[in-house]
Formats: sequence, structure tokens, C-alpha cells
Amino acid sequence: MSEKEIKVGIGDMKFARGDSRVITYALGSCIGVTFYDPLIKLGGLLHIMLPARVDPNDPKVFKYADSGIRETLRKLTAFGLMKNRTIVKIAGGAKMFEMKGSGGSDFGNIGQRNAAMVKRVLMDERLRIAAEDIGGSYARTMLIDVSNGDVIIRTVGRPEKHL
Amino acid sequence: MRLKKYEDMNLQDLDVMKEISSIGTSHAATALSKLLQKEIRISIPEISILGYEETVDRLGDIEELVTATLVRMSNEINGLMLFVFKMDLANAVLGKLIGREYDSFEELDELAYSALEEVGNIIICSYVNAFTQLVGVEIDLSVPSSTVNMLGGVLTVPMAEYGYVTDKLMYINAEFIVDGKRLSDGLLMLPDIESLNSILEKLGVS
Repeated sequence: MSEKEIKVGIGDMKFARGDSRVITYALGSCIGVTFYDPLIKLGGLLHIMLPARVDPNDPKVFKYADSGIRETLRKLTAFGLMKNRTIVKIAGGAKMFEMKGSGGSDFGNIGQRNAAMVKRVLMDERLRIAAEDIGGSYARTMLIDVSNGDVIIRTVGRPEKHL
Repeated sequence: MRLKKYEDMNLQDLDVMKEISSIGTSHAATALSKLLQKEIRISIPEISILGYEETVDRLGDIEELVTATLVRMSNEINGLMLFVFKMDLANAVLGKLIGREYDSFEELDELAYSALEEVGNIIICSYVNAFTQLVGVEIDLSVPSSTVNMLGGVLTVPMAEYGYVTDKLMYINAEFIVDGKRLSDGLLMLPDIESLNSILEKLGVS
């Protein structure tokens, strides 16, 4: 296989141009956001874990939806990405455990809160979400083929899905 | 010295946690042994403070399907307990309990799923019971919740829960030895930082 596969860890972002695939494994309550500029074949994949960066000095910008999306856009723009051409797709935000009874009020809703924040920040940035695969109770692996912008979602027990 | 995150624990703190875990795990093994009516031995647990990816690597493959049971602790200690079954341990349990083994977690029926949830819960409860007696704290446990999911996805749950405080997990690794076979398990005990401090204080360290 001549294609390069670039792995994105939790709370991180990677991007590539041309013949590469950028992949992130097992998104649970986390959310994967792909950014793709088809004209210059530039694609990035961001893997956020939490909604908002509370401490402005926290260096882990890609861990949070708000700072992560902004920093990704800043970086990709520097490499020629134009917002008005950019195709954004999102996946993840699952509820991995259903907590019964008390003590779990807010718990397990992190996926939902992540999704809401991602959508809000993208809207603020005037980016439309072209496709999404959000929620449910199962983990997802997300990959973007940068040569054509194809985004693939892999889950256990279900066929691969093209977003 | 008060700790701000898991990785601030020094060797002495870790030794203390290891000692408690050793007792907790042996209680868990005894409970399991009674349930399965089989002799179960355990190896001395190791305690590791690991990042997300290291924890995944220790337990298996990121996309590997596992069954996990989660229980929330409250009262004097707040936090999470997570028990992860891999297929070998699950089959040792299911073979004995319901007389059937499975090729993969995808095939689990309702009965097998409930059985694993119950066993996960028993392991966690007996572990926590030993812990409360030893440390002298009261801990209330929530109803267990389980999932069959990718290992990587399961572990993002505690990561996200404490993501604003730390990027590390406290992983307790002991091997259950059943019929001469070493079966790995994954138990994660994740007290919040305030609780961790009070545990260490009660035990006279830190």
C-alpha cells in the first residue's frame, strides 16, 4: 500500500495532503471532526474529548472542542485551506454507559455536550456540517481519505459507512 | 503534600495503593471463586498510572471488543470503578455459570450479558468492600452499568470524566489464575483527586 496512514490520538489533530489517510480509533464520547478542502486536497482530522477549554493556559488545545476547532482552522488555513470550500464532517459523541438511578445525572451526557459544543463552534466559524454520525451507544473509528475527501466510519457489528 | 493529579503520587503512595489493591483484589478473587466454585488464584497486582494510549496498549487492542462494567462511588470517596472483561476471562466465567462459551462478544445473548454484568459488579463490590474496611471510609456504590464496546471507546469514559484534572488513569492489573490459565483482567479504580488525598491521609502517608 503506497498510501500513508496517519494516526490521530485522543485530544490531538493531524492533517495531510494528497495520498494519505488520516485515522482515529474508537471514538466513544469523544468527537472526530474532519476538515477537507477538495481543491487543494488538504484534509485534517481532529479528535476532541471535552467541550470547552476552561484554563486558557492549558497547552492541550486539541483536547477541547472550542480551542481544538479554532486551532485546527488556524493551522489548516496557513496551509492554504479556504473556509468557503471546506467540507466538515463529524462523528462520535456516543453514550457509552447508561447510568441507572441516581448519582449519574450529568454523567454519560458528555457525548451529547461535546456534540452540542462542536456544532456551536462550527456555526460560529460559519462552517456547515456536510454529514454527521453522532450519538448512539457504540464506539466509532473514523478515517478520511485525503486523496478524495471520503470519510469512512467503522463500528463493530455494522457495515462500514461512508459519510 | 496534597496531590493535584494521579501522577503526583510518589513511590510510597503507590506502594500503599498497591497494598490495598492486593487485598481488594484477593477479596474479589475469593468472591469469584465462590461464585464459580473453583479455585482462583491471583498474581500480585501492579498499579500503574498511565496515559490513555498506554492503558489501551496494556489491556489489548484499541478496536478490540470488550465487555465493561462501570460503577460510580460516592459518599466519602467519589469516583469510578471500571472492570473490563476480555474474551478469555469472560468465557471462563460464562462456561462455569451458564455452561456456554462464546467466540466473540458480538454473540452474547441477554443471559450471558447479565451474567457478566453481575460478575463485574461482584468483583467491584468485593474490591470496594475490602477497601472501605481497610481505609475506614464509607463508600456508596451505584447500580452497575455495562457495555459491549471497543476497548478504546470504553476507556475514553474515565478519561473524559477526569479530563479537566488529569490525563492519566490508575490501572490495577492482576492476573486471575483459573485452572492453571492466566486470565488477564482490567480493573480501573479512579477516585477523584480529593478522594485520593483523603485515602492517603487516612492511611498515614502524604
